[in-house]
Amino acid sequence: MIKAGQIDKGTALLIKGQPFICVEREFVNPGKGSAFVRLKLKSPSTGQVLQETIKSQDSVEDINVEMMDYQYMYNDGENFHMMNVDTYDQIEVPMANFEGYELLMKDGETYRCTVYNDEILDIQIPSKVVYLVAEAEEAIKGDTVQGATKFVTTETGLRVRVPIFIKQGEKIRVNTETKEYLERVNG
Amino acid sequence: MLFNFGDRRYHVAMNIKAAQARSRLYSDIRAYFTDRNYLEVETPTLSPDLIPEATIDNFGTWFVNEFASSREMYMIPSPEIFIKKLLADGSGSVFEISKCFRNCEQLGTVHNPEFTMLEYYTVGYDEKDSIGLTQDMIRATALEGCPESVTADFEIMTVHDAVEKYAGIDLDTLQNPRDLRAAADRLGLPIPGPEPWDDTFNRIFINFVETAISKDHPVCLTDYPRQIECLAKAQGNYRRRWELYINGIEVANCYLEETDPEIAADYYRREYQKLLELRRDNGKTIPDVDDSFCEVLGMLPKCSGVAIGLDRLLMAETGARDIDDVLLFPFSRML
Repeated sequence: MIKAGQIDKGTALLIKGQPFICVEREFVNPGKGSAFVRLKLKSPSTGQVLQETIKSQDSVEDINVEMMDYQYMYNDGENFHMMNVDTYDQIEVPMANFEGYELLMKDGETYRCTVYNDEILDIQIPSKVVYLVAEAEEAIKGDTVQGATKFVTTETGLRVRVPIFIKQGEKIRVNTETKEYLERVNG
Repeated sequence: MLFNFGDRRYHVAMNIKAAQARSRLYSDIRAYFTDRNYLEVETPTLSPDLIPEATIDNFGTWFVNEFASSREMYMIPSPEIFIKKLLADGSGSVFEISKCFRNCEQLGTVHNPEFTMLEYYTVGYDEKDSIGLTQDMIRATALEGCPESVTADFEIMTVHDAVEKYAGIDLDTLQNPRDLRAAADRLGLPIPGPEPWDDTFNRIFINFVETAISKDHPVCLTDYPRQIECLAKAQGNYRRRWELYINGIEVANCYLEETDPEIAADYYRREYQKLLELRRDNGKTIPDVDDSFCEVLGMLPKCSGVAIGLDRLLMAETGARDIDDVLLFPFSRML
């Protein structure tokens, strides 16, 4: 058991028997009162998202999780197929629990995962990732609505708005949280 | 700029815009109050005793006397304790821009253990009068480019009505702690066990009211529950007190000041007890209290004091999302 005030992003908790991972944490203090912590919790097994604001002194049940590296192999539309790089164990992770991750994870890339009871609770995608531009649409000259930007599609299928000089085959660095273009990467 | 102090290197990138905004705001605030005949006062940072407040953690230090006994001193969490002594002495309306110190473990985006408070006390005013004064002052001193969420008309609402509107419960019918806990439970809030009324109230307030009030304009919530103990005059189930929220963040607190020495003495006793219970076992600083201060309160003229967190006001006026952005040397970066 830990105090709510000790919870940080990535802390795993058991709530009504279900594992949840803290994805966001904010401190909140009422004008005259004890300290509170506002938590956004995600359950990987059901995809449920909980928002709870509880007293920092409240006790919560934390669970022991392991951090392990998994290689992303492919997805079959329903599950991500990942392989533990140390044990070579293969695991299926429901795509519904990690919406949109198929657009961010690169084939063959290794990701740090939070594991509990042989289940992957969390997949850590780095906040900035370099992707290959697989498809670049033609920039329409004189299209003042778009400004000096256009859309490209990365090797993972992610659509990103980029400056018009970005070409197919080039590499771009993307903020994986906001899906925004950061810069072109050379070499 | 890079400074070298032995093997510690400090990288200081001066936040010039924040410094300019702060400087501008301070001069405008000073002019505003001085023009209206408020006396600017400067009171100590160290005090041998504090007004007991169980939810505020304190910094303590020691005055060391080589040949006599040493004495623990405390860094003020608010200049209130000194300003009220001046008011009792006939100072008339006063204001102070003061550094305040609150020891806390939760360093988030709106807290810095050392922060700046503007406090102004108007003789003859009650807390309702202070609302108009505060709105006028904020507008008159607003920085250029200040968003409308700061200068728009205050939305004024009682806490009772806000709780009814946003949580659907009537506090007047839930004055029993068990009833309030049952209501919180029905609202889906986890209650670990029996707890004081004000703790349950804060859970409801933080989860349902603070998150729902408008961020488009300042919101002034008035008449806080009596169960939240403080030195504001009580009236029925509530207290003559309001708090101002800008962008959903609490920025100011105002009282119609308590002037009954017996009520104040009662508060001192109960609050100090709470403080002892909370801190006896965890090594937190337990400040001395001097209950003769209650007699000082008995000598106060009718007055209303407002305390504004200037760092938070600056954040609101400059669009900063984190208090670190308006501080030249944020605490969290010095650790």
